[in-house]
Amino acid sequence: MGQKRRGGWWPALCIGLTGTILLIYVLLAASNWIYLGWHDTLYFFSKSRMWERLWLTVWTATVSTCLSLVIGIPAGYALSRFKFPCRYLFASIIDLPIVVSPAVVGAFLFGITTRFPFDWVSEHYDIYIGRNVYGVLLVQFTVTVAFCTRLMKASFDMIPTRFEAVSNTLGASPFRTFFKVVLPMAKNGIIASMIVVWARAAAEWEGLMLFVGATEGKTDIMPFAIYLDWNGGMMGWVTSMSIVCMLMAVSAISAMKIIGGKSNVW
Amino acid sequence: MHLIRNAAVFIVIASFVLLTQAFGSEKELLFHAGLGQRSALNEIKAVFEKKYPEIKVNFSYKGSGYFIADITRSKQGDLFMPGEEFYLMQAVERGFLSDYDPQKDVPAYFVTVIITPKGNPKNITKIEDFAKPGVRVGLGNPRSCAIGIWHQKTFQKAGIWDKVKENAALSAKCIPELGNATQHKAIDATIVWSTTAVLYLRDVEIIPIEHKYRGIIRLPVGVLKFARHKKAARQLMDYILSDEGRAIFRKHAYAVNPVIPVDEQGFCLDGTTDQDMTYLVNAAKAVKHDTFPVTEKTVGDLMEEVLRQKKTIRAGD
Repeated sequence: MGQKRRGGWWPALCIGLTGTILLIYVLLAASNWIYLGWHDTLYFFSKSRMWERLWLTVWTATVSTCLSLVIGIPAGYALSRFKFPCRYLFASIIDLPIVVSPAVVGAFLFGITTRFPFDWVSEHYDIYIGRNVYGVLLVQFTVTVAFCTRLMKASFDMIPTRFEAVSNTLGASPFRTFFKVVLPMAKNGIIASMIVVWARAAAEWEGLMLFVGATEGKTDIMPFAIYLDWNGGMMGWVTSMSIVCMLMAVSAISAMKIIGGKSNVW
Repeated sequence: MHLIRNAAVFIVIASFVLLTQAFGSEKELLFHAGLGQRSALNEIKAVFEKKYPEIKVNFSYKGSGYFIADITRSKQGDLFMPGEEFYLMQAVERGFLSDYDPQKDVPAYFVTVIITPKGNPKNITKIEDFAKPGVRVGLGNPRSCAIGIWHQKTFQKAGIWDKVKENAALSAKCIPELGNATQHKAIDATIVWSTTAVLYLRDVEIIPIEHKYRGIIRLPVGVLKFARHKKAARQLMDYILSDEGRAIFRKHAYAVNPVIPVDEQGFCLDGTTDQDMTYLVNAAKAVKHDTFPVTEKTVGDLMEEVLRQKKTIRAGD
């Protein structure tokens, strides 16, 4: 008995601290919900505007995540497996959009799309590049593709290379090996990363602020809409949308934990 | 694996559908507008698009400080309506607007008012009260928002600028920050536009300012030189300047009198805006107290705004 109990304070402290963090977050959510009140919760949650915005957020984030995956999976695989010149330089450059603020991404996108040939395109074809939902997708994609590649590299790094070697010696082409051996093994990691990437895309707004500007009903995804309504003094909208965002995040993370299972990418 | 393959097919189809949608035949206007004008301009957009179904209005709402960088760089946009004449003049100086007429192109005005948290805990009734010791004053940063310039101007005119600076508890980067701080009782008093004050009827007290310190801020609108659809842009601008357009601004607590006499600094000279101030004060009472009558006579054109805010406890639409 005495043996077992010795040093028991350390796990207790750790668990206690976890509990404290949890408590802080629960308090944050609860106090805001109390501030909103039950009557207003029902009112705002029954508004179609709320769900239109949620849908806009969901589909833009989904599309940009898919685009990121198309590039991110092969790129992550390449960085994880193949040796090619300037590999480390590539890896560092790909980390950039994760480290720098999304505002920088927005400003840079703004810079590039107002130069040749884009200015010529927008003048002749009567479109404002970047002022619509494609701008939103572009910002989300630019921010998340790096993130995605990074996470994919981590997923592939965890898979032992032996299986690939076996597959190759048995005569499968690298292409076939990738799809038949590597991808199925990396499945959990990929799905877990996908959800993280999706959440990152759905939370993007600094880049949007600089590059896109808000058009209501067209480019105001949830985080941007919260900012807009904060400026309009509509605290009811701000609070209720924050709650929806939080619920969205909690479901995304839970989904990741359930699907990703044993994967320790995150 | 199937998942990924299906996703790839989905992307190809989705991008194709989206791209074909991108080149519609409608005239789309890009309207650079200050965040503060959002509620009024959204309403104008709705009415205008019903009137001219072939024209679509897209706003690019930003803080007024962002515009010049955006327009200089992108050379995009049809109309421009920033939160202060100063920003429009910057565009005029750079040659982005060719035909701005200061006499005619001002559809609406902001009027400055004092706001305090509900119940007015420090009993603020006039400009001089801002210098009282212990009053936490919210000031705007003059570099990033127009209200900051007006704070300085107003308190300098009253000769209490140094004392007010000592009382400052907040240096706001934009005007909603002042409104939100007052709503959450983080400051005891500040000066904001009437249009900002009207957003917080339930949570703040509104105190009109006497004429010599009451600022009138011109809100001009203009068609940009590189507008794609000059004619459509002009139509929208004319609509904004029409009586019908002005009436919509009025519903959101803008002053819309064609002529408001002001001195060279922009302070009010007579009681043209007095009636608007009375409506504003009454509107704040009406939202707070259910017994206060909400009629044309008590709150004027602010009726819709009052009813909107009475509907929910935390203001929404």
